[in-house]
Amino acid sequence: MSPRGEDALIIPALEPAGPRRSRQERAVIVTDLLSGTICLSTREGPGPWKGFKAFEQESPVASFPELYEGHAGILERERGEHGRKCVGTLCSYVPVELIHSFGVIPVRIWGRPENVDISDALLQPFICPPVRQLMALGMEGRYEFLDGIVHCYTCDATCGLYNIWVRNLKPGFSHMVSLPYVDIDEARAYAVAELEALVDALESLTRQGFSPESLGRSIALYNEARSLSREVYRLKAGGFRADYLDIHYMNLCAQVLPVETFLPRLEEFVEELPRRGRGSGGRARLLLSGSVINDDSLLAFIEQRGGEIVADDTCLGLRLLGDAIPDREPLESVASYYLGRTPCASRADFPSRKRYILETVGAFEVDAVIFVHQKFCDAHLSDHPFLKRVLDDAGIPSTRLELEGVGFDGQVRTRIESFFEMLEAR
Amino acid sequence: MSGEGRTTKRLKANAALRQIIEDFYADAHRAKAEGRPVGWIPPMNGLIELFYSMDIHPVFPENWAPICAAIGTSVENFARAESRGYSTDLCGYFRNNVGYALDGIDEENQPLGGMPAPDFLISFGAGCVPTMKTFQVLCDHFDVPVFRADLPQVAIEDIREHHIRYGVTQIKRLIGFLEEITGNRFDIDRLSRAVAYTDEACRLWDAIMDTRRARPAPFSAAEIGIMFVMVTRHGTRVAVDFLREVLEEVTGKVDRGEGVIPNERIRLFWDNIPLWYNMRLFNYFEKWDAVVVAETYTSAWTMRMDPDRPLESIAYKSLTSYPMVSCVSLNKRVELIKRAVSDYGIDGAILHSNRSCKPISMGQMDIQRVLLEELSVPSVMFDGDHMDASRFSMAQFQARIDAFMEMLLQRA
Repeated sequence: MSPRGEDALIIPALEPAGPRRSRQERAVIVTDLLSGTICLSTREGPGPWKGFKAFEQESPVASFPELYEGHAGILERERGEHGRKCVGTLCSYVPVELIHSFGVIPVRIWGRPENVDISDALLQPFICPPVRQLMALGMEGRYEFLDGIVHCYTCDATCGLYNIWVRNLKPGFSHMVSLPYVDIDEARAYAVAELEALVDALESLTRQGFSPESLGRSIALYNEARSLSREVYRLKAGGFRADYLDIHYMNLCAQVLPVETFLPRLEEFVEELPRRGRGSGGRARLLLSGSVINDDSLLAFIEQRGGEIVADDTCLGLRLLGDAIPDREPLESVASYYLGRTPCASRADFPSRKRYILETVGAFEVDAVIFVHQKFCDAHLSDHPFLKRVLDDAGIPSTRLELEGVGFDGQVRTRIESFFEMLEAR
Repeated sequence: MSGEGRTTKRLKANAALRQIIEDFYADAHRAKAEGRPVGWIPPMNGLIELFYSMDIHPVFPENWAPICAAIGTSVENFARAESRGYSTDLCGYFRNNVGYALDGIDEENQPLGGMPAPDFLISFGAGCVPTMKTFQVLCDHFDVPVFRADLPQVAIEDIREHHIRYGVTQIKRLIGFLEEITGNRFDIDRLSRAVAYTDEACRLWDAIMDTRRARPAPFSAAEIGIMFVMVTRHGTRVAVDFLREVLEEVTGKVDRGEGVIPNERIRLFWDNIPLWYNMRLFNYFEKWDAVVVAETYTSAWTMRMDPDRPLESIAYKSLTSYPMVSCVSLNKRVELIKRAVSDYGIDGAILHSNRSCKPISMGQMDIQRVLLEELSVPSVMFDGDHMDASRFSMAQFQARIDAFMEMLLQRA
């Protein structure tokens, strides 16, 4: 019965991933999901899962960047060939397992730093770049393929975006979940009621009834994906050669692909990393903190300049990889997962932010922290002086970059260079 | 008419209001001096009724900030916040309150004696991110007990029984916390009376706002300061008695046909928070015989409470006050504005694109379009900030408003 901030923090597990399901097992799970078959009886043999290319191919699957770049085509195929619906999500707190359990693909959506000005018709310039970029893409019709949109209230800007999106782009389906902020028994009961409301909405969308068994199977797939993703972080932290861009694209794929399409490549990646061998080491081990960081060139520049990003505190990475959701009372388990997961800046109080940052710094042996803030992001801007003080007290140097939505500019580049010069001089 | 500085107020009730404001802060200092615990709490929720029913004096940083802006001390508080590393892109309420709490609280000559240091804090999840974060900074800074709670953000049209039920469970937790901190006992009958006062205050508020349907309107947005009692004295007789006085005065004006200005020709709607440092701006429209007769912000108090279900009532109030005026419930807000246009005979709308408040500013383009396309009501938007005068250009405001008012006059 203690508030969220006083509870034990869920920090990224550094233990090896648990037992994995075979591709065939996963295929059976997905096929059952789509066909409405409840029983998980046919785990052996080829089964009725043919047609899922991701499971059939024996040749190496595409790289994460390739998968990400091609995700629109993959989704289109899922829609066309399998009649699956796709629902856009604005935030990592949307319970994707629940959406997936109805055979619907949850697709996290975001923008690009192009043609952002067209969002001026609906949003003021003092709204953060990620929200304006996403609105711009929506206005361009790039997300017309979606069957709807689901949001979970986190920050003011995305809440406004959700409402403006629904009013103007008129998706056929829309729903907002409002999760509690404290992790107590009553909050869990309330969260379950919120999830039940989402279930009702998904039943209307799909004209299918809710199946706890189906949700259990979706949970199993997401558990596996999160477990393997944690393993990737663990391997990189252990010195195996991987660029953070690899991990970044892994994270992006986790958000936009059907989980069953994502898993085979993820499994290969986990197997491949130890074969790459260890890097030479000696680079400053960094933690990246911010909200949505989708600028490849910035990430690449930091590592090219001599840093090694081993951990993150963003809306795409480690924080999303909480412990496995237990295999019982699925709605309650999903509610507990999202309430117990390391909270984002828009949902966390200072003690839990402090604990996550310090524990991650310790667990990943981080030498320095780079805050990458989106301009006008109230949550991260409010946290920063506190977190900087926490890091100063711990003797961990940090710097702050601010992105204005047009890629990283000369000023940001100079700041990074100065930071590395300072680190090298230490 | 320069349109700068403090407003010219006309309601006689303003004299009583000044006393109420002084008393509110004096009561807080008296409580502190007498050793009664003072709690700082977020605004626009049902905690206030609970506090007053338990003889606890609430302090609202968000009410304190506009006073600082009106008097001018916000500039010093902004500088204090900035020196602590807080971005100037953050909300002005946040910067003022954090600057004051961290480095200004011991300074002498604060307006109304300042806010006495808290003995405990109530910290919500959500409400709006800057308010939530303000309290997190305060929780970190003051070494006092903290009650953490939830304020789930739900569009008003989506509020269901489980939301109310959850609100009630949290209020019950809070009651336990307050009893322990203060030693005062909770009494449901006293809460019921407090809720009845709020219900009556809201009824009077609606009646007062309704008088502005009259032509000429008996008062303008320049008198929006009367809202002070809705923010700080809900749950008490003070609000009810004051609002009765106001109602009597404005009804008398309507009966006598006394308007804000003698020859009212244009009736305006105002969207978003006023510029607290420049309330006289509302008088700027008078040179075109125009009056601001309705606002979004004042509709946050259009609600009813049920004294027979006091816990549910304050839970419902907590859930609705903020979404009523923000983008949490954009459809509801648009609906409210459409109704205001019809009820108040609005000729044009002024939208303050408020850099300090994203939740209220988001959706303003939608509002403009609805006004024009569905109601044929033109509108103009100007850039400003409800707290930070450096983010408002009078010259740009005048350029935009002058052209807009000329256009409205031609339509009239």
